[in-house]
Amino acid sequence: MEYGSPIIENVFGIPWLSVNLANVLMIIIASAIVFILSVLGARKLQMKPTGAQNVMEWLLDFVKGIVSDTMDWKTGKKFLPLAITLFTFILVANILGVITTIVYNEEVWWTSPTADPGVTLTLSSLVILLSHYYGIKLRGTNHYVKGYFTPVWYLFPIKLVEEFANTLTLGLRLFGNMFAGGVLLSLLVVLTTMNVWGFLGGAIPYLAWAGFSIFIGAIQAFIFTMLSMVYIAHKVNEES
Amino acid sequence: MGALAAAIAVGLGALGAGIGNGLIVSKTVEGVARQPELRGQLQTIMFIGIGLVEALPIIGVVIALMVM
Repeated sequence: MEYGSPIIENVFGIPWLSVNLANVLMIIIASAIVFILSVLGARKLQMKPTGAQNVMEWLLDFVKGIVSDTMDWKTGKKFLPLAITLFTFILVANILGVITTIVYNEEVWWTSPTADPGVTLTLSSLVILLSHYYGIKLRGTNHYVKGYFTPVWYLFPIKLVEEFANTLTLGLRLFGNMFAGGVLLSLLVVLTTMNVWGFLGGAIPYLAWAGFSIFIGAIQAFIFTMLSMVYIAHKVNEES
Repeated sequence: MGALAAAIAVGLGALGAGIGNGLIVSKTVEGVARQPELRGQLQTIMFIGIGLVEALPIIGVVIALMVM
């Protein structure tokens, strides 16, 4: 069962520019959920935390651990908001697609926004651009340019290729995991709704794979945040 | 022929990544068995390594979709 996506092509008359409306909708929903949960968790802060504040503090400590694993805390603390935003957004976006999928007028409207290469490659390009920006800002242009020619000058082409490879693999890893998970889930739905034997054979694997997809979503959010911090630390750290 | 080529690309990619992931996890288990107090750090490094290896079969899947 193949369903299309609500794509508007040739926006503003530009031939290569097209917008997937389902992605726009799902990004807004994911951002709204993250915003509301964070505001609820950070309201009425107390010295003896209860309930939602406990969860927020645990999340903050977890992401703080990710950042301080890769760089020292003095330079790392300005990246904590970026890291926690990336982690929570990707986690919620991954899980939204596992919960359900809504098809309206033969078009998929409710799915993971991270199951689209455009969204994930945008995120990874943003991270790589930020790493260049902070590399120049925190260490100066001389150090930044010299970084391309160390330890020996003829490694320059490889270092240049590395930047593009980092962008591609960072985005495509997230996209591929979410996309493959969604494809397998929809195949299992087709099997389960076929007939009685299909239901008996497909129900248990469907539950198992749905649970595993949530686990994969959390792991991928963790890996994306971790590798983003590794790439930024590679540019920002003094000794490298 | 396109479907066959896609199947071979995905299969070989998954084979290589499976061997690589197995090596990573087995070495991590050995490390934890030697020094159980390093479990948390070793798990973090293991997940980074698995993430790096996982990228290759995923790119294989993308290429397979393009071939089909």
